Amino acid sequence: MGVKVGIPEALLYHEFGSLWLDFFQNSGVPVALSGKTNKQILDRGMSLAIDESCIPLKVYLGHVESLLTTCSHIFVPRIAQYYPDNHLCAKLAGLPDIVQNTFRLANEKLLSPNIENSSAATIAKAVHTICQPLGLSDITGHQAYRQAVKQWKNTIPIQSGHPVKAKIAIIGHSYIIKDVFFNSDIEKFFKSQEVEIIISGDLPNKIVYEEAKAFQQDIYWQMSMKIAGAAQYFCGQDDIAGVIIVSSFGCGPDSLVNEYLEHHIFKPSNKPHMVLTIDEHTGNAGLITRVEAFWDMVARRLKLEGKLPADGLS
Amino acid sequence: MKVSYPQMGYLSIPVYNMLTNLGVEVVEAPAISKKTVELGSMYSPEGVCLPYKMNMGNFLESIDKGADTFVTMCGAGKCRFGFYSAVQKIQLSKTKDVGFYTIDSNHLLTGLYHFLQSVAPEVSCLEIVKQLTMAIKTLKALDTINNAKNFYGSRSTTPDTIIDIANQSAGDFRDCRAFRDVKDKQNRVIHLIKSMSEDNNKQPPKVGLVGEFYLLLEPYVNYRVEDVLIKQGIEVKKFVNTGAWVYSNTLLSSLGLYNEEHAYQKQARPYLNHHVGGDGLKSVGSTLWCAQHGYDGIIHLYPFGCMPEIVAQYALKNIAQDFNLPLLTLSVDEHASDVGVLTRLEAFVDCIKRKKK
Repeated sequence: MGVKVGIPEALLYHEFGSLWLDFFQNSGVPVALSGKTNKQILDRGMSLAIDESCIPLKVYLGHVESLLTTCSHIFVPRIAQYYPDNHLCAKLAGLPDIVQNTFRLANEKLLSPNIENSSAATIAKAVHTICQPLGLSDITGHQAYRQAVKQWKNTIPIQSGHPVKAKIAIIGHSYIIKDVFFNSDIEKFFKSQEVEIIISGDLPNKIVYEEAKAFQQDIYWQMSMKIAGAAQYFCGQDDIAGVIIVSSFGCGPDSLVNEYLEHHIFKPSNKPHMVLTIDEHTGNAGLITRVEAFWDMVARRLKLEGKLPADGLS
Repeated sequence: MKVSYPQMGYLSIPVYNMLTNLGVEVVEAPAISKKTVELGSMYSPEGVCLPYKMNMGNFLESIDKGADTFVTMCGAGKCRFGFYSAVQKIQLSKTKDVGFYTIDSNHLLTGLYHFLQSVAPEVSCLEIVKQLTMAIKTLKALDTINNAKNFYGSRSTTPDTIIDIANQSAGDFRDCRAFRDVKDKQNRVIHLIKSMSEDNNKQPPKVGLVGEFYLLLEPYVNYRVEDVLIKQGIEVKKFVNTGAWVYSNTLLSSLGLYNEEHAYQKQARPYLNHHVGGDGLKSVGSTLWCAQHGYDGIIHLYPFGCMPEIVAQYALKNIAQDFNLPLLTLSVDEHASDVGVLTRLEAFVDCIKRKKK
């Protein structure tokens, strides 16, 4: 089998995917993606993972398994922290160990660079960890990395311009709200209502971190910081009619941060908001009912405010 | 100012002594009961882990008793523990205007020192250092007694007496004022335990108790698993020696002589190679140590949903398999019932005993 690096399309792929793909492309290494999450991947992940793991982790293990037979290497980076005092959650910090303990792969099959800070030394070491098993020189790796970072910084989130009735913001960890398997039902519903949805992952990082500055002394999780920043930003926008927070059952940071945001952001802002918790048993009927009810409420308010035509206020 | 703090097994005794000896008025939370659990869960976010809910219950009960200033620990890391106080403050401020102090466990010495200075401003620096040292001494004494309970209790034909002596002795350390006191009391209890136990050279089956700090420490939430095992003739090694922990995290680490992360990172290899926050690395390291030192079983105890311990569990599963080591995982939340836990413990002990034969 020739060299082929498999990248699971889950967890931090939704955050850094394009950077990783560019990196491997620039260094001329063939890459295989595990594809979009589907029922089979979820089922496999559920049987592989420890029961108490959160659903994104279960899905991740399903993705990894689907790559094992076709790829010579699997890319499972450990990203624990890249801004000072901003950690990522325990599961992400232990990701290579979780994968290793679940599948018991040969050490060289796993490409797991360790990112604990953003220093040049860490990056040099990380690039070396990837390049060595692939038979690349470190110089090629560095060039590829530098180029990839440049491309990554230049990507601008897409903004749609077509007319809509209203805008609803969806906030959550990017690995949940960007995974079609979890959010397609919500998306479909709002499309049918001609409502545009904006997800927090599409906001430029600059805005998000600027908005999150007020919470810096309390929140120390990187992802939660982004959620707080996005929540703050959306609540300050007049054209956002409501905010939906999607989190997964068993998500450690979310269990506390949602409460914190409720008190510090949502209540003072008076924006309609709702927390949707998903797990692997979520039947979509229950989810849709809640989203429908939420939209009814938001629409009612919009009608009262005269922002929507009041045809038969129910 | 009436200071209160969460209950945490015998860790609250030296804290009480330290504060009262410095002239601070302390209102202790009532011992954890069913009411604490209910109250705590009612005023906590649903998905949060058990220690948060118990601490909350303690705070609310001590507010009823008149407390107005709270001190708690926080450990900035990947685990939720560090974020407790930010959310607890929100809930508590709804009830009453309260003061809230948090001590960062990563800077335990400086944190404790600053806290003590602000609640007892007129006390000299030397006195504070003395009280800190005494707290560590007391904790070490309590650890020693606990270890003696495990050692002699499991070898005794009347383990109940020894358990009672050890458990009740903890209360005697209240109001200790001098180093001499601590030493005397420790010696007396150890002597008493020794005199109660018969000479017996038989080595009972050994079980390692690993997991999350709070769950291991607070007997109410861990269903006194240690005592249950001792009564069935199992020698327990609990991997949370508070005295040693506080000592190494205050004095040694501030001198740069100790780094908890590095100490356990080496021990946990190759099953867990990185720090994952909380006690994850420690659980894996201790389990591996037990596996290599002829232990007969491992009990892994953690609050439901604990992030670091779940990561650790992936590793524990493999250690158990590779070393053919029986492993019992107990994930505890506010709904767990003691009967269910006891049944599982008994079945586990039966397994170990049969395997040993």
